Amino acid sequence: MSISIPELLTNDGFITAGERDAIEKHSVASGLSFIKIALTLGYISRKNYDRSILNAGYHIHEAPREEAYDPQVLSKIDLSFAHERLAMPLRIENNKVVCLMASPDDALFIDFIRFTYDLEPQIIIASDMDITWLSNKLLGDKYIKSAVFELMKRDPDSSAVVTFSTAQLIFIFVLIGIVTIGLILSFKNTSIIINVIISSFFLVAIIFKLFLALVGSRFELYQAVTKDDLKQVYDDDLPIYTILLPVYKEDKLIKKLIWNLQSIDYPRHKLDIKLLIEEDDDKTFNAVKNLDFPAIFEVIVVPFHMPKTKPKACNYGLHFARGKYLTIYDAEDIPDTDQLKKVVSLFGKLPEEYICVQSALNYFNRNENFLTRMFTLEYSYWFDYMLPGLDTLDIPIPLGGTSNHFKLEELIELGAWDPFNVTEDADLGVRAYAKGYKIAIINSTTYEEANNEPFNWVRQRSRWIKGYMQTYLVHMRNPVALWKEIGWKGFLGFNFFIGATPVTFLVYPLLLTFFICYVVFDLSGIRTLFPDWVLFMSIFNLMVGNILMIYINMIAVFKRRYYELILFAIANPIYWLMHSVAAYKGLYQLIVKPFYWEKTNHGLSKVNSPTNIVK
Amino acid sequence: MKLTGTIFLSILAFILVIYYLVCGIYLNHLGYYNHESLFYIEKSKIVFEGLGNRLKVMGLTSPILPFYATFIFNIFSTTLAPVLASAVGTGVLFYIIASTVAKRLPDEGYIWLLLILFLFHPGIIYTAASGKSIYLILIFFFLFFLNLFKFYRSNTTFHVSIASLCLVILIFCDYKFIWLTLFFIPLVLAITINSLNLGEQESIFRLFISFNSPSLRRKLINKTFALYIILFSLPLAAVLCYKLLNLTHANDLNYFAESPYATWNVLIDKLSFDQLTTNTNYRIPETSILLSARVVLFCPMILIAIYLFRESTYQVLTILIPFAFIEFLHIKYDKVFLAYQYYMIFLILAYLCVIFKAHTVKNHKSFKILLLLTVLVQLYFGWYYLRTSSIAEEQNFTNAFFNRQPDSTQANNVDVANYLNSLPTNSHVLLDDAIAYNIVAFTKDIKPVIMPYESNFLSALETPDKYVDYIVVATAKNIVSGYTQLNEKYIFSVKRTIPNVNFRKVFVTDDWIVYRVITNRSGNTL
Repeated sequence: MSISIPELLTNDGFITAGERDAIEKHSVASGLSFIKIALTLGYISRKNYDRSILNAGYHIHEAPREEAYDPQVLSKIDLSFAHERLAMPLRIENNKVVCLMASPDDALFIDFIRFTYDLEPQIIIASDMDITWLSNKLLGDKYIKSAVFELMKRDPDSSAVVTFSTAQLIFIFVLIGIVTIGLILSFKNTSIIINVIISSFFLVAIIFKLFLALVGSRFELYQAVTKDDLKQVYDDDLPIYTILLPVYKEDKLIKKLIWNLQSIDYPRHKLDIKLLIEEDDDKTFNAVKNLDFPAIFEVIVVPFHMPKTKPKACNYGLHFARGKYLTIYDAEDIPDTDQLKKVVSLFGKLPEEYICVQSALNYFNRNENFLTRMFTLEYSYWFDYMLPGLDTLDIPIPLGGTSNHFKLEELIELGAWDPFNVTEDADLGVRAYAKGYKIAIINSTTYEEANNEPFNWVRQRSRWIKGYMQTYLVHMRNPVALWKEIGWKGFLGFNFFIGATPVTFLVYPLLLTFFICYVVFDLSGIRTLFPDWVLFMSIFNLMVGNILMIYINMIAVFKRRYYELILFAIANPIYWLMHSVAAYKGLYQLIVKPFYWEKTNHGLSKVNSPTNIVK
Repeated sequence: MKLTGTIFLSILAFILVIYYLVCGIYLNHLGYYNHESLFYIEKSKIVFEGLGNRLKVMGLTSPILPFYATFIFNIFSTTLAPVLASAVGTGVLFYIIASTVAKRLPDEGYIWLLLILFLFHPGIIYTAASGKSIYLILIFFFLFFLNLFKFYRSNTTFHVSIASLCLVILIFCDYKFIWLTLFFIPLVLAITINSLNLGEQESIFRLFISFNSPSLRRKLINKTFALYIILFSLPLAAVLCYKLLNLTHANDLNYFAESPYATWNVLIDKLSFDQLTTNTNYRIPETSILLSARVVLFCPMILIAIYLFRESTYQVLTILIPFAFIEFLHIKYDKVFLAYQYYMIFLILAYLCVIFKAHTVKNHKSFKILLLLTVLVQLYFGWYYLRTSSIAEEQNFTNAFFNRQPDSTQANNVDVANYLNSLPTNSHVLLDDAIAYNIVAFTKDIKPVIMPYESNFLSALETPDKYVDYIVVATAKNIVSGYTQLNEKYIFSVKRTIPNVNFRKVFVTDDWIVYRVITNRSGNTL
């Protein structure tokens, strides 16, 4: 077979001569094989490639996973190289190295085989997806180990592998002991003290949120990156940008995902998009394999290893990232099309200590049902007011799950994400502050799919709340050290924002019960237990707290011009009850299975999600 | 050091506070008191020294924020606490306005003008030295309008929500400001119409276009409604909660506004009405149509403000809202004279508008001279209005402050209080603080005094022989004797129902009689 694959594809009309030149140029510059670029940067679909290969008389091995392999042979190749070339050796047979290759004419790989094994290769052509799966499975062991244990080894104090430290356990049990003794000795007085403390805490936590919201809303007209700034960004000067897309059983969203990624305004050859698929996720794997149009991402298969969490997958993907900057999107995310350019521009303006930029998150299906409306209200105040408020006050920002853009080198230096923490993003935000780095907020939004199903919502929320508890426990192992690292403002902010959030959800039903017993049913028992001033105080705290929370929600959607949602803010107390259910579930899981990742199902929305083109 | 610097303004405010304190303490020595400050003093004594349901007094005394503002100053002196609060508060008001000037105008002349107002305007001195809550009203009135004007310019949620919070505080400083919301209803619509992205510039045509296009109509309604909610939901929810609090603790939604135990102006307003109905000379200046004209005379700077904003429709409408507000108050509370603070708000508003628009004036020198002239006119009318006020305690203030005449209005009450102070510590006194709060304000120890906030008050009222040794009763001459049970009729009715009880007058003034309770069985006599 004398004709080369690039020639073959050009002759078959799947790529133009110009595209072929562009691929070859990119290949020389990046070190990636021709076929890797062609298949992962949107030049040709896998189906068309297979068609071309078969028409040229090649045979494609359909079940390469069943092929025998020799660990000795495998030990001589690195996973990165296998990724770059979409090829790997399997074993030595008949004095030849049996190799799986996506493109049979990859001279560099063939030379590698000859040089390394001093034998000729015996080429088996296989799908690039199968080669990727097999290479990650067989060669990814050290990478997956690093993804799981790197932070734990490097900085054990920052790892959530231990949920409760000994000191924390002693503190908790001593506290329980004191309360129990107090209740036995003087049930009434102890109950009064507990009531006053939790109700006051509730109010203070909400007033703090109002304060943050007001501070944040003050700068709502401020644009971190203006249109003029964007005009100064030239394509040729842009660095390589890595996008990690951790997915699990998101087969329905793959086409949507490609559509959204294609809309991003960034030079295609400077995008390094990595779809992270779990080893056992055949659904997504097959959906990608069977795509009948060009994909614009590279697939990385994450080998099986516990804990099975998103941060572990991201850490694994990080090993192969080539970009200067890196971001994470979920499969259903629709970022503003100019988001990456805005981030590059902002990083250019910010001082060196800023290592992360967080975009706002909001929902495209906000008017779908009650839950999506409430979710939109919540996200609007969180990302439009709370985070800018924290940013202004120089308090650690708990990063959102997606659309946080990092400087790759500094991210690695920080130890990346904690695979044992189920809100790895929030944890990373605090860790970054503790190490002296800063996080900025950008005026760009990523639209996500709001959870529209109550049980799915509780699952997702319980994970978030559990993660907040984990993050709080991790960073409060040594409160004095944390105080020194992030200052008194950061320390108080951390306590009231990360620590107080789960606690307010946990105490909310208790306060509500007092309120119902006292005001609605007028139970005599509660009046005997608590004097009037205590009941007055707890009801005052509850009511004022609720009113302020409703108000914060109202002002947030006012800013976003979602006027139709404004009245839904009144339903916030009901929404809070759902939070409380999730909080108790999260607390239970924190104790019995702290690393368990409650999977959120995406793609449930029936709302069409148009691309958010920024003009 | 620049005059507009933070430190310099703080020093100026501090000097003003000292100046106001000197005025306030001087007035105090001349015996000047007013009902509001005495009411706060009495309620503070109950909160800090009382024995009964203090929580109710603390929660339901109205206006609640000025009352709480005096708390911190109780450390220095219970009697002077309201004056200290108003002096410091007025200093803070100066600082807030001056720092707003400093941020917006590079010219120090405007600070000097402000200083003249704060040093010499009788209304400001009255605000600072009287111990009344006017200072808080002015602070939050200023902040409310400041944020509204900022919102008009920036269209940010921050300013509208801060305005809303200021409105909440303003309402809890003076409940009548709730009516201000009424006049914002058309204004909000005007703001929304103006903010719609339409080619047409004329407001009325914009409205026409918006109503005739379904999508624009929906947008208009949604936006108007949203703005109402952002601006008014917090004040309305706060008032609703406060009313519910009143309902649960006093079985009356409007207890805070209508009970003489909760607020000082219920009785004062009634007295004002009594005077109005018995007076043969009807007070012409208080007629409705002339009220706005009186305001313009009181504060001609407001005309300059309107002129400066002449090209901004809704800014002008905003300035006109307080006019509509006071006219409304005059109609709604037609039996009450308009208090001085409702004139003072124009003084503050006018200066705020000047701060906002002065940068558009070309000739600053002439403009400042014009402002100086209006300030001088304002100083004169400030004094004139206070001197000729229909409200007695405002007149008393001018008499005491400008004529340096001792004020003997509270002499009767002080005498009674002194008598009660001289009683043995174990003797109990029955007293109704609905009308006699000014006596309690002067007593040194309120523990022996049994008042309606205490659970045993009704029992003491029914069987005084078992609970108290003395009763303070309003004489027939006391103009508020009709508003209490403890008047002379009470003595007769007790004598009739409990034959064994007798009363002996032990101390008498024009307004009060202190009776010693004598039981015939024991034959106790004084």
